[in-house]
Amino acid sequence: MPMAVEIPKEKWTGKVREVKLGATAAEGGTRQKTVTVGGESTLPFLTFEGDMPNPPAIAVEVQDRYPSDWSAVLKAAWGDVLNDPAAWAKKAEEYGADIVALKLQSAHPEAGNTDAAHAAATVKAVLAATGLPLIVYGPGQAEKDNEVLVAAAEAAKGERIALGNCEDKNYRTIVAAALAHGHLVVAKTPIDVNLAKQLNILISDMRLDLDRILMDPTTGALGYGLEYTYSVMERLRLAALTGDSMTQQPMICTVGEEAWRAKESKVNEGVPAAWGDWERRSKNWEVLTASTLIQAGADIVVLRHPESIQLVKQAISQWMAR
Amino acid sequence: MDGDHPLATTLVIGLRHTLRKMKNAGTHATGLQEAKYHIAFRPDAKMVTVPEGTLLSDAIAQAGIRFNLPCGGQGRCGRCKVVVEKGEVKRRGTSRLSTVELEQGYALACQTMVYDDLQVFIPPQEAILRRLPSEKAAAEIPTLPVECDWQSNPIVQKFFLTIEPPSLSDNTTDFERLQRELAKQYNIRNIVAGLPVLRKLARTLRESEKESQGWQVTAVLEMGSWLDEDAPPRLIDLRPGDHTGRTLAVAVDIGTTTNVVYLVDLASGKFIDSAAAYNAQISCGEDIISRILYARKEGGLEHLQRLVVGTINELLHELAERNRIDLSEIYAMTVAGNTTMIHLFLALDPSFIRLEPYIPTINHPPPVRAAELGIHICPEAPVDCLPSVGAYVGGDITAGVLSSGMFKTDTLTLFIDVGTNGEIVLGNADWLICCACSAGPAFEGAGVHSGMRATVGAIEEVWINAQTYEPTYQVIGNVPPRGICGSAMISLLAEMFITGIIDKSGRINRHLNTPRIRMGEHGPEYVVAWAKETRNQEEDIVLTEVDISNLIRAKGAIYAGFSVLTASVGIDLADVEQVLIGGAFGKYIDVEKAIQIGLLPDMPWERFKYLGNTSVLGAFTALLCRDMRREVVEIARKMTYLELSADNRFMEQFTSALFLPHTDMTAFPSVLRLLDQQGK
Repeated sequence: MPMAVEIPKEKWTGKVREVKLGATAAEGGTRQKTVTVGGESTLPFLTFEGDMPNPPAIAVEVQDRYPSDWSAVLKAAWGDVLNDPAAWAKKAEEYGADIVALKLQSAHPEAGNTDAAHAAATVKAVLAATGLPLIVYGPGQAEKDNEVLVAAAEAAKGERIALGNCEDKNYRTIVAAALAHGHLVVAKTPIDVNLAKQLNILISDMRLDLDRILMDPTTGALGYGLEYTYSVMERLRLAALTGDSMTQQPMICTVGEEAWRAKESKVNEGVPAAWGDWERRSKNWEVLTASTLIQAGADIVVLRHPESIQLVKQAISQWMAR
Repeated sequence: MDGDHPLATTLVIGLRHTLRKMKNAGTHATGLQEAKYHIAFRPDAKMVTVPEGTLLSDAIAQAGIRFNLPCGGQGRCGRCKVVVEKGEVKRRGTSRLSTVELEQGYALACQTMVYDDLQVFIPPQEAILRRLPSEKAAAEIPTLPVECDWQSNPIVQKFFLTIEPPSLSDNTTDFERLQRELAKQYNIRNIVAGLPVLRKLARTLRESEKESQGWQVTAVLEMGSWLDEDAPPRLIDLRPGDHTGRTLAVAVDIGTTTNVVYLVDLASGKFIDSAAAYNAQISCGEDIISRILYARKEGGLEHLQRLVVGTINELLHELAERNRIDLSEIYAMTVAGNTTMIHLFLALDPSFIRLEPYIPTINHPPPVRAAELGIHICPEAPVDCLPSVGAYVGGDITAGVLSSGMFKTDTLTLFIDVGTNGEIVLGNADWLICCACSAGPAFEGAGVHSGMRATVGAIEEVWINAQTYEPTYQVIGNVPPRGICGSAMISLLAEMFITGIIDKSGRINRHLNTPRIRMGEHGPEYVVAWAKETRNQEEDIVLTEVDISNLIRAKGAIYAGFSVLTASVGIDLADVEQVLIGGAFGKYIDVEKAIQIGLLPDMPWERFKYLGNTSVLGAFTALLCRDMRREVVEIARKMTYLELSADNRFMEQFTSALFLPHTDMTAFPSVLRLLDQQGK
């Protein structure tokens, strides 16, 4: 006799906040489109238990100087646009990016030490070249981050860009810049549930609205701590769904940067033949890391390879369709 | 208005009528004249006139009366209490006033507005200092913390003897003569004696001879052992003459950071005096792990043993000098200390305490003679170390549990000894579970830039004005300050947090407009006292961001210990019925501030009790009373030890607690409310 089996369903009391990047002309900016992420009231893609109103978005990394340290695979894929951030951003948009993640690497003291004015000019040029929303990253050096991110915030006034990284050491400056010019922040913490939550509290104590914070829990690539990232992200998301308002920020993962740092994708010298085709392997490294973390709850993945954009997009649309 | 010329009073009353008229005319006729009221202050006999709605604190300032608003007029500290004796006022906030005080007309000057002519009494501000639990345990003269029968059976007793000198017809030996008289006069038999006493026996007896009365001596006997009173009595000293008035002994707490000695009288059960100093071993490492590592060096163990014995001897000499006693008159010593400190005190190899599976040489060392350790008291005096539970829960904690009385209560009790190691015990008369977490020496005033012990010259409490960021502090002994002690660390951290000088992660906000926040040699810092206010006039007293981070680690470790310990037995922290706090904070700990920084759980204040230094109090009790000494063994036996390093919940809870007050803000509702009020 056939029996009706009822699938047990989890009831969640909390919900991830919806965060909107970019502002159109009507909203005081110049973006042709905006991207909203978050809003989940269920674990990733488990839509029988809740809603997932927005698909995970893909941001594509663009740097403001030629990325000489990048893998030859990436350099070949992008070609000449790597010399010009505006052209690069435009190309990324053509390849299907939802968001441009502009990294102001040239401001790094060891990579040109360019100043605030240069940063402002770059941001303006990229904004002019693409209609996509922007995330702007500093070079990752505290003093220079403060200098160029403040300039970027001013240059992009009204565009609702995200400023990153906002960390426990510099959050006051970055949050103040976001407050002054109507932007968002990317709150980055070393892979730990408590630290992520603490930074969100510190930021919201400065009166930045909670729907203006993205959190970056720190990404470990495939083979380099992916499981750890997965588990921390999963715990953050479970906390969010059970109602902890300080973990209800959409998560962003810098997948490209981490995946392309792995020995397996970066180089091909002296590796065993069994590892197979270098190009295929390195793209897979990025795609597998991205799709795994999307399953863990990532709302934005920042990618590097043009084909990865396509492959991850495909995966997302298949998962969303189910 | 006492002391004022009668004419002045008349004038004032007359003026008041005139003004009343003006006020009425103003409101009804022109609407221009603002209502004004007169306030007469007592006992200063001053009078002011102020517009309606003026804050009483502003009126006091206008009258030129010296009056402190430690929290800057926010109604937080409750230090500006006054009594409104005549007239009506509007109270904006009464958070610090009890119902009784409200009935008596008390008001907070900074929260009270003038709507009438008033007569206001300003009590002396010192007299209304709000001190959270200090009570008897931390009082000037410690008493036995638990009830026990200490009279019937002290460990050392003195017996005055008159002994017939020998003759050719009675040629018994000196020792046998002594034995014979003890048996005859006091029914004490089978005494034994060590070599040091035997060596001086012959001479002492003959020196004691009084004309035609024979030998007159005081025999000092250790009556069996601490655990077995039927063991043979041991002659530990012999003195010419009668010395039976009192029997001096010492209770000692060997802390990783602080050593304390209590001088007591076994005959009267009374505390006589105490002395404390930092453990000289600090020069070889601040925590027990670094001490253990130091002990592994060539001669390291012996050096550490000499250092701690040196500290204790210094304290003994200090006590002897102050009380005009002879150190050789001190006949017993009971020592409480953590397992490592006891190992180092006895020069036992502590290496394996540090290494998995964390095994001490011994938990309950047998008593030794003072001379064997180099302690400058009677060489034959027994030195008794209280038993440990394990590598990280020592005799200081069994002593603490003893003095807290938790071993005989039905109340679910959480006992915490805040020292370099935070030891936590949960339970009641039926069961006890404990854990230890490394808090560091910050709350003992060590390892902090301007830190010091809770002694004269230490800032012990701080309030910060939330508008100006200017501090008001209280110094032990009311002298110019020399540094900051543990209790002030708590209040300072809480005040800096509540006023927004530091954020929830403990970072100093350098954008605030005050010269007290600056970049120092060790990074950002807050100046608590300028050099010119201090005793030596040389250096500013500061709290640096590094200090703050150490304090947050210390409190985080302790709170994480609470969380893990309660969770391990399936109890919610909120179910704990009383929290007993021990530690070398000085005379008191401000429970409210300790909750604000998340050192103590957010529960009603009346559940907390501060017991002072429970380790030395426990040693004092065990020294005086044999029943209690046996109880310590029972406590040690009964206590279950939870190893936190083997518990992965601890790290999680610790990171969570490295925040002010805590990452889980919902666990601190009273602090959330306060922050809301502050708009921070």
